[in-house]
Amino acid sequence: MAKTSSIVLGLCLAVLAGRGAMAADATSAPTQWIPADAVLAVELFQPKALLTLFCDGKAAAALAALPGAGKRKAQPGFEKFMGVVKYLESQLGTDWPTGLGKMAGGGAAFALRPQQQVLFVADAEDVEMLKQLHEFLWKAASGNKNNATSSREVGGATAWSLGPKVAHTIVGKRLVASSGFDGLQTALEFRSKPGGASLAATPAYQAARRAVGPDAAGMIFVNMAALKQAPGIAKALQPKESNPLVALLFAGIAESVGASNWLAIGLRVQEKEDCLALQVVSDGAKLDPKGPAAFALPAKREEGALPNLAVPRQIAALSMYRDLRRFYGAKDQLFPERTSGLIFFENMMGIFFCGRDMTDDVFAQARPEIRLVVANQQYDPAIGTPSPQIPAFALVLQMRNPAQFREVMEEAWQKSIGLASFTRGQKAEPGFVIDRPVHWTTKYSVARFSSTGVKDRSKLDVRFNFSPSLAMPGNHLILSSTEQLACDLIDALGREAKQPPAPLAQTHSLLEAAGDRVAAALLANRDSMVRQNMLKSGGASEADSTGIDALIAFTEFVEQLRLTFSAESGMNQAKLELKFKWPGQKVAETR
Amino acid sequence: MATLTQQQFDPASAWARYEPDARRPWNLALAGHLYRRAAFGASWGQLQRALRDGPQRTVDALLRPVGDVAAFNRQYDELETPANDENSSNDLRAWWLQRMIRTPHPLQETMTLFWHGHFGVNAAKVNSARAVQQHLQLLRRHALGSFREMLAGVVKDAAVFLTLDAKASRKAFPDEHLARWFLEAFTVGPGRFSDRDVREVARAFSGCFVLQNQLRFIERERDAGTKRILGQEGIFTGEDVARILAEQPATAQTIVRKVYRWLISETAEPDERLLSPLVESFAKNHDVLQLAETMLRSNLFFSAAAYLQRMKSPVEFALGIVKGLEETVSTPPLAEALVRLGQNLLHPPTAKGWLGGQNWINHATLAGRHNLAAALLKSDGAFGGKLNPAAVASKHGTDARLFLDLFLQGDAEPSGDSGTDARRAAYAAITMPEFQLA
Repeated sequence: MAKTSSIVLGLCLAVLAGRGAMAADATSAPTQWIPADAVLAVELFQPKALLTLFCDGKAAAALAALPGAGKRKAQPGFEKFMGVVKYLESQLGTDWPTGLGKMAGGGAAFALRPQQQVLFVADAEDVEMLKQLHEFLWKAASGNKNNATSSREVGGATAWSLGPKVAHTIVGKRLVASSGFDGLQTALEFRSKPGGASLAATPAYQAARRAVGPDAAGMIFVNMAALKQAPGIAKALQPKESNPLVALLFAGIAESVGASNWLAIGLRVQEKEDCLALQVVSDGAKLDPKGPAAFALPAKREEGALPNLAVPRQIAALSMYRDLRRFYGAKDQLFPERTSGLIFFENMMGIFFCGRDMTDDVFAQARPEIRLVVANQQYDPAIGTPSPQIPAFALVLQMRNPAQFREVMEEAWQKSIGLASFTRGQKAEPGFVIDRPVHWTTKYSVARFSSTGVKDRSKLDVRFNFSPSLAMPGNHLILSSTEQLACDLIDALGREAKQPPAPLAQTHSLLEAAGDRVAAALLANRDSMVRQNMLKSGGASEADSTGIDALIAFTEFVEQLRLTFSAESGMNQAKLELKFKWPGQKVAETR
Repeated sequence: MATLTQQQFDPASAWARYEPDARRPWNLALAGHLYRRAAFGASWGQLQRALRDGPQRTVDALLRPVGDVAAFNRQYDELETPANDENSSNDLRAWWLQRMIRTPHPLQETMTLFWHGHFGVNAAKVNSARAVQQHLQLLRRHALGSFREMLAGVVKDAAVFLTLDAKASRKAFPDEHLARWFLEAFTVGPGRFSDRDVREVARAFSGCFVLQNQLRFIERERDAGTKRILGQEGIFTGEDVARILAEQPATAQTIVRKVYRWLISETAEPDERLLSPLVESFAKNHDVLQLAETMLRSNLFFSAAAYLQRMKSPVEFALGIVKGLEETVSTPPLAEALVRLGQNLLHPPTAKGWLGGQNWINHATLAGRHNLAAALLKSDGAFGGKLNPAAVASKHGTDARLFLDLFLQGDAEPSGDSGTDARRAAYAAITMPEFQLA
């Protein structure tokens, strides 16, 4: 019973929530009782809003729809747990979400401190209900044959322990819980010296609080200065200089996190849209406009990444502002080590582009607005379906001087396809056949694998996922992994040309993804993923498929994800918006 | 434990069924011995059941398991099929290890491993995961079946030809290297054929080409003349070569002697008189199952002449730990770890397979075995802490001797105080010299 009580208390402590108006001490927010040495803190300013989002019937239905939910429910532990919850509900005379709201109505904060100490502070709207819960748990734990309860005076208040590594007390309307009596003592010392050396009083926390804004329902605060003291984390945050692609994609993001003293994630609930928006802010330094990584800085105030393109079956799209000429020009500073990969890249580019200067003659031809698109494929039944199914992906650039660069690019592309065919031929594998068809008015190049002579079309070789294509409509350059996506992008750029979009000023990266499309891609490759999981875990297929099915189901709940990175007001900002789609809701089709 | 050595057996009593008696009782040590040779190792439950069932019923279960082996193999054939004709066979290697761990018919896998060593196909030379997979399936299909049929499959197997650098056997340039290998390593053995036989077998293989990783027969390159091979004359092809070589008594001697080293003992060469009943029988029916059955049921097998008379290969060492602790582990890192111990599955050092025996052990590989044992038992790391000696101990009793009995069946006493910690106790048992022996 003690174990059950601890679970219930743990559950209560983890999700207690409420509104700030009923704080134990009007001048004392929960974080004012949390010491400044906290490495991570989660503060809920409007917990009821979060409760509404996650504890209403739609979320419960969503959870119930997750694969494996039935099996979990059938376990004896789950039944016992639900029995206790139902008993508590009858004792407290309310359902559990309402009870949680009432018992922590004044806001809540959770902190992780050094030496794995945890501290939880919550203010009740209805302190009688909180006391009632305490009485019940105390009696249940005391009556257990393995009774490990104890109580003592801590900081002038009576504190209780229901078992090892858990202690709590109720002071006024405030519940304080910690991983031991020592942790409670530290928190209760703030009664006599409000503010003091608390987390809330630190300039970093205050700056983070201001940065997430007054309308946030909650905030996750990470003390990066303290976190970076750990050697493993410091190493992980060091910029990875060896991988140019990573440097290109994450420019401005990795540097910002590495230089920051704090990082805050603001939680905003948009109830009407069932949407949870996460805003990530840090005090990381802005990129040095003269530094080697400044290729990701929009040159002028109004410049930035373009809005993403939209194509049928689109899974995700990434739009970036990256000055490729500047990036390649700074490669010796960015990658001081001449790795074999870099040397190979330079050699191959030298061959494809006939020894032209890559910085001024090739990369300088591309404007900094770069877009990437990933979409599910629709396979031609006459050819068959490959396994695994790899989504199509494409890169869209804008050429500064298309008249001059078009032929240079065409030649380079054809050489690369020829080389790929030659290499495959050396291994007795079939190569590409190049074609030059026309889509509307755009003549493009495509390299296809011939399916003639293929016997089993139900499970084609993985190579049939690819039909590399090059299209150059107007001043755009499309490099696509499939012909289908290249044609879809020609259409999308045609639509865009009728109403050219304005750049997203000062935004250097924008990622958008559709959950149901990601889920579809995962579902198409479910068997392959289960196989890989089986191999890695050594488990049986049933166990390995449950996790993957849950991932697919969870992905389906995310209707849309939008992540933007910008550098405004001297601060690097990341904004993550997650829009959930609960079961039964229909999602508008992306064209 | 019986103390008779090989020299003390006459063939009739050596191959007669072992029936336990007061002088040679059926015990945990012999049950462990049987599982080490026929199933890579055993769990505590399997050992206890073997003790209850007795030797012959336990051998019955190992030879002809109750589970649906065909369905299991079909599932794993599907799972291990490469998505495309990849150059790397690393996934295939990992799948095979997982199959060895989970199969309801472990003897089939131990014998597949035996035949892999016999034919020595090397994935690095084949350069086609699908061709290697087909080769493995061929070995598995006949691992406990007919050697004659297996050889008939091998002469049409692209992986074997690619391993032996025999991509094109032209009429004008018959591949004598390929022919010599078939005669010397796969069948009759050295000194039992002439150079003329080599030339004639090479002529019989003319017309065999590996194109797009498949073996094709090109008629125009076929030498249609008469050949004389090991005393037989005719217009022979590769298939005829397989038949002729399988029928040779010398082939039966080669195979029986090799299986003897695999299942009975690699420390002493058996004399011809001892093997003669098995050779005679195998020469007639080419039946590997019957050969293995005779050996596994025999007095000789359950005697000191066989007990701990083999060095465990790295695969047997690792799987012995995994099977003993009743779990599965991530096999891609296990396959990599085995490379460091000298056994890179699907990549034997030569087409003669691994030398085995004492060659498995040197200072580096012994230290490597200890490191692998520690890594397998670690609560985190590459193997994810899946092996949990504490759980095994709590399931089967917390007697301090549990792991000694499980892994060594009383062949060794603890060298130091391993305390009550299950991981330490298990580690102490599996790093003992006796655990390196099969």
